[in-house]
Amino acid sequence: MDKKLEELKTEYKNIPIPDELDFVVERALKKGKTNKRGYKWMAGTAAAAILFIGGINISPAMANTLSEVPIVGSIVKVLTFTEFKVDEDKYKADIKVPAISDSENGDLAQSLNEKYLKEGQELYEQFKDEIEEIEKEGGGHVGVDSGYEVKTDNDRILSIGRYVVNTVGSSSTVMKYDTIDKKNDILLSLPMLFKDDSYVKIISENIQEQMREQMKESNFEKIYWVADSGIEDNFEDFELIKKDQNFYINKDGKLVISFDKYEVSPGFMGIVEFVIPTEIISDVLVSNEYIK
Amino acid sequence: MGKRRRFNDDDLFTEFIRDNKENCYRLAYSYVRNSEDALDIVQDAIHKAILSYDSLQDLNMLKSWFFRIVVNTSLDFLRKHKRVSIMDAETMEFISSGKEDHYENIDLERALDQLAPEYKSIIVLRFFEDLKIEEVADVLNENVNTIKTRLYRALKLLRIEMKDEMIKGAN
Repeated sequence: MDKKLEELKTEYKNIPIPDELDFVVERALKKGKTNKRGYKWMAGTAAAAILFIGGINISPAMANTLSEVPIVGSIVKVLTFTEFKVDEDKYKADIKVPAISDSENGDLAQSLNEKYLKEGQELYEQFKDEIEEIEKEGGGHVGVDSGYEVKTDNDRILSIGRYVVNTVGSSSTVMKYDTIDKKNDILLSLPMLFKDDSYVKIISENIQEQMREQMKESNFEKIYWVADSGIEDNFEDFELIKKDQNFYINKDGKLVISFDKYEVSPGFMGIVEFVIPTEIISDVLVSNEYIK
Repeated sequence: MGKRRRFNDDDLFTEFIRDNKENCYRLAYSYVRNSEDALDIVQDAIHKAILSYDSLQDLNMLKSWFFRIVVNTSLDFLRKHKRVSIMDAETMEFISSGKEDHYENIDLERALDQLAPEYKSIIVLRFFEDLKIEEVADVLNENVNTIKTRLYRALKLLRIEMKDEMIKGAN
C-alpha cells in the first residue's frame, strides 16, 4: 500500500477507544430491546422523586419551603398517599387529597369515549399505586436523574411528566406523561378522547407535515426520520403514532404529542413534541371538554 | 416472517455489534473528530439498527447495512452541526499553526479531512476498514462504478498513486 495511505491508516487505527464505549453500546443494546417490546416504566427510575419525597418526610422545614414553590406545591398536592408523613401542623393546609367522587359520572360519558371509561378509572388507581410504590422502593440509583414536570395544572386537569435522564458518556431521556381529570379521578388515555381510531392517522399526518416543515425552515438543523423530507435515509421513517402515544394537554388546552429521544429523530434532537391544531381533530373528538 | 427471524438472530445482531463496536466508533470519530459526539453516534446508530432490524432482508448484508447506518448518522450529525464544525476547524488551524512539527502527518490528515464526505467515506471504508469495493458500494448505496470513479478522484486529490488491484480489493 502507498506509504501515505499506510500512515493515514495507522492514525485511524490509533484513534483511542474511550472506556465509556462498552457502557454506551451495552446500554443501547439493552434499551433498544426494551423499547421494542413496548414501553415499560421501571420502578427504580424515579429515584430523585424518592429522595424528594423522602426529603419531605424527613425535614418539615424542607417540606415547608417546597410547598411555597408553586410547581413543586402542585406536585405535592397530587402525590398524596397514606404513608405521607409530614409535620401535619405545618403542612396540612397545602395538602389536598383529591376528592373522590364515585358514581357521579353521569355526564362523563358525554365527554369521553365510554369504551375506555373503566380503564381510565383503573389507570388512575394504578398511577396512585405506582407513586406509592416508588416511595416504598427507597434508595437511589447513581447516575440517574429523574423527576417531575407539571405541564398543566388547572381546575379540571393535571398533566404531569415523569422523566429520567441517564448521564454517562451521553445522555438519553425517557418521558412518561399522565393526564388526570381531577374532577373525576380518571387518567385520560388518548383513545378515550376520540370517537374512533381515525385520530391515529389524522394526527400522524399532521406530525409528518410539521416534521418536514421544521426541517425545511431550520435548513436541516432539525432532523426527523420522515419520508419526503429532502434527506435520503432508508431507515425506518416515522409513519404512525401509537394508539397510546405519549401525550399531554397544554395550558391552552391543546393536545401535545411527545416522542422519546431516538423515537422519531436522531439523538441530538432529544425529546420532541408536536402541538396538534385542534381544528384538524375537532371532528373526531368526543367533546371539547378537555381539548379546546 | 421478519418477526420470527428476529428471535433466532437476535444474538447474532448483539454479537455483531459487540464485535464491531470499536470499528463503528472509529468510523464515527473519523467524521466528527470528537469522542463524545462519536459515542452519541454509535448509540444512535444502534438504536436505529434495532428499530429497523426486521427490515433487513439478507443477513449477509449485516455489516454493510450497519456501517451504512453509522455513516448516515454521522452525516446527519455533521449537517446539524455544520457551522460549529467549520468554526472548530478554523480554531484548530489557528491553534496548531506554529506547532506543526508535533504532528507528522498534519498535512495529509488535513487533506483527508478536507475531502468532501462522499470521498472521505470511500477512503476510510476501503482502506482503513478494509472493505471490498462492492461492500463500500453497498454501504454508501451507490453502484460500484460510481464508487470507483470517486475513489480515483479522491486518491488524486490526496496525491496518492495506487495500482488497480489495490483499489478493487481482489481478495
